[in-house]
Amino acid sequence: MTAEDVADPGEVDDEGRDDNHDDQDRGKDRAKMLEILLSQVVSGLVLGGLYVLIAIGLSIIFGLLGIVNFAHGTFFTLGAYLALTLYQYFGWPAVILSPILVGGIGMVAERLLIRRLYNKEPLISLIVTFALALLIEATVRLIYGGIGQPFSPPPFLAGFLIWGPILITKYRFTVLLTTAALLLLLWLFLEKTPFGRILRAGSRDPEMVGLLGINLPRVLTWVFGLGCAISGIAGVLAAPLWTITPAMATNAIMPAFVVVAIGGLGSFAGAVIAGLMVGVVTALTIQFYPSASGAVMYVFMALMLLLRPRGLLGERWERFE
Amino acid sequence: MKTKNRDMLIPRRTALFGAVAASLAAPFIARAADPIKIGLLLAKTGQIAGQTEYLANGTYLALEQRNSMIMGQAAELIWLDEPSPQAATQNMQKLVQENKVCAILGGSLSSNALAEEATAAQLKIPFVCNNAAATDITGKNCNRYTFRLNTPVAVQQRMLAPYALSYGKRWYHITASFAFGQDILRSSRELLKAAGGTEVGSDEVPLNTADFSSFILKIRQANPDVVVGGLSAGDLSTFLKQWNELGMKGKIPFVEIAIGDTDIWAVGAEAATGVFTKMWDHTNPNNPPEEKAFAAAYLAKYGKPAADKAWMGWITARSLFESIDAVKSTDGMAIVEGLEAWKVPAGTSSYSYRKFDHQMLVRNLAVGVKPKITGKWDYFDVKATLPENAADLDKVFGTPEEIGCKMG
Repeated sequence: MTAEDVADPGEVDDEGRDDNHDDQDRGKDRAKMLEILLSQVVSGLVLGGLYVLIAIGLSIIFGLLGIVNFAHGTFFTLGAYLALTLYQYFGWPAVILSPILVGGIGMVAERLLIRRLYNKEPLISLIVTFALALLIEATVRLIYGGIGQPFSPPPFLAGFLIWGPILITKYRFTVLLTTAALLLLLWLFLEKTPFGRILRAGSRDPEMVGLLGINLPRVLTWVFGLGCAISGIAGVLAAPLWTITPAMATNAIMPAFVVVAIGGLGSFAGAVIAGLMVGVVTALTIQFYPSASGAVMYVFMALMLLLRPRGLLGERWERFE
Repeated sequence: MKTKNRDMLIPRRTALFGAVAASLAAPFIARAADPIKIGLLLAKTGQIAGQTEYLANGTYLALEQRNSMIMGQAAELIWLDEPSPQAATQNMQKLVQENKVCAILGGSLSSNALAEEATAAQLKIPFVCNNAAATDITGKNCNRYTFRLNTPVAVQQRMLAPYALSYGKRWYHITASFAFGQDILRSSRELLKAAGGTEVGSDEVPLNTADFSSFILKIRQANPDVVVGGLSAGDLSTFLKQWNELGMKGKIPFVEIAIGDTDIWAVGAEAATGVFTKMWDHTNPNNPPEEKAFAAAYLAKYGKPAADKAWMGWITARSLFESIDAVKSTDGMAIVEGLEAWKVPAGTSSYSYRKFDHQMLVRNLAVGVKPKITGKWDYFDVKATLPENAADLDKVFGTPEEIGCKMG
């Protein structure tokens, strides 16, 4: 064995090790990327879940009442503020009381204001509900002031859950589970109960439902209240994550409209699929092109409307066409 | 009977003279009775509204402390909204042309203020910017009619840099994708490069972002020595809240310039963290007596401590009201000259606007969130007053060549 022979294997070994290192590094990079992508998808699902809850109420109200409710986001705000206030008196049961109260406020708004908009020009309902949104926001500002209010997740939901590459906080996981459970209950309610059947029939042919002896105005009051209560639930769930301010509806109402437009006006399943898609697409855009993360949902909506003007699962509604 | 009636009547000639005299005097009488009007151009809604509430409160208090009088005449504030740069300039025109204000206070966001200062120059109306911090306002975009309180971004970044560098040289930037954030990013990158550091990541965040979890996951993966923020108002509060929720508080330090008290109050004691610069703190024992009196008056009137923004509204309003008093005129150029000459003592230092760029020279505070927050309104420990020597103020704020302001 010559000196060269001794030297050569060494060089080969070094190069071999470098190649192995490169492969290992690439493998590690890929694993890291997969890890972050999965975590981003989960994060997007949580955000999408909140969008779904806001959008579903909007969709139900439009489907059954024919009202495009611009004030819907302010019921989300009310949910957060009432939870904050009631928490000081009742502790965590406030998270249940708050949406009930929001639903009640919604029912009062329907009786006093929204009812007068049925079968009127869509533009009138847009203007009136927009005015209602401004009124509610100004009232909240008057009572609580303009500055944000602190509100944290409950201590028992502090900490993380780690499943393989996926990392999620306990609170966000709870939000995800609550959203899924609520959507399931809502679906069962609409599809499997007599009241749900009345609602679906009323959305298609309100006159016929009235002729069958059903007090449709009362049903519509309950529907509006239900839509507002769901938005209130979203507000309660978002309160420990977002900053509670009178203007927080701005961050809720536009994505909700986008979700409803993508999913198809009045479509329950469409809103669910679209909401989750918007959340995930937003999260993945943050990973690769963060400055476009605010605009991506609008691009998504524009594409969808070009390809399928009624949205993903939108149907032809005789009442509105 | 007839004679009696005639006695009661005013002679026709007297009446005619009286009418002519009254009509000639009317404009002067009306002018004497008309209050001096000052425009207030601050956002009434949106994420910045938490700050503007305090800016407005401080401004109103400054006028109230003068018994609502300027130049010995009644004075009033007319507050219009600034929902966007375009709408803000429209409202500025409305204030000048319809409401006939003689000067305007405002500019809550840098993007708005940059548009407003151009309109102020066009309308020849004195504009005192009380909140926006973009460097260009008193830099290359400066003009004779614009004055500004907040310390420029580039100067504040220089003040903050030693604190960021004390944590390490691997920085991650998360900044708002509008004028304020872009200014921070530019300045911070220059400082990092000069210090021989590395930027391990950078995200520009759209305004009014509700969910920062995806950004925080990226930061977590990059594992920087420190995160240098450039988020404004409500977005900063939401970020810090979620930073804590995702378990990052205490793991990676966070620093940012120009925090407002209202931003940190919205975060809550549990989640608050970071090192910041700010202009004023109501708990600072070094506040001069007149500012302590202001803080007490604010507390008495509003039932809450004066946030830094309240002081910013108050001091800018004072500078304007006192300047109008000094020149005894509501003419635009006279007020500009009054503001250029305005100077008041402030403890061991003084407040004034620099002649060449109309930037107010004020020492800033470096503050850190207390390890344990016990008071609802008391979040910060004052780490330092910057610059340490008041005589260095002019140098720290930059020379005319560095600033690039050409008023013409």
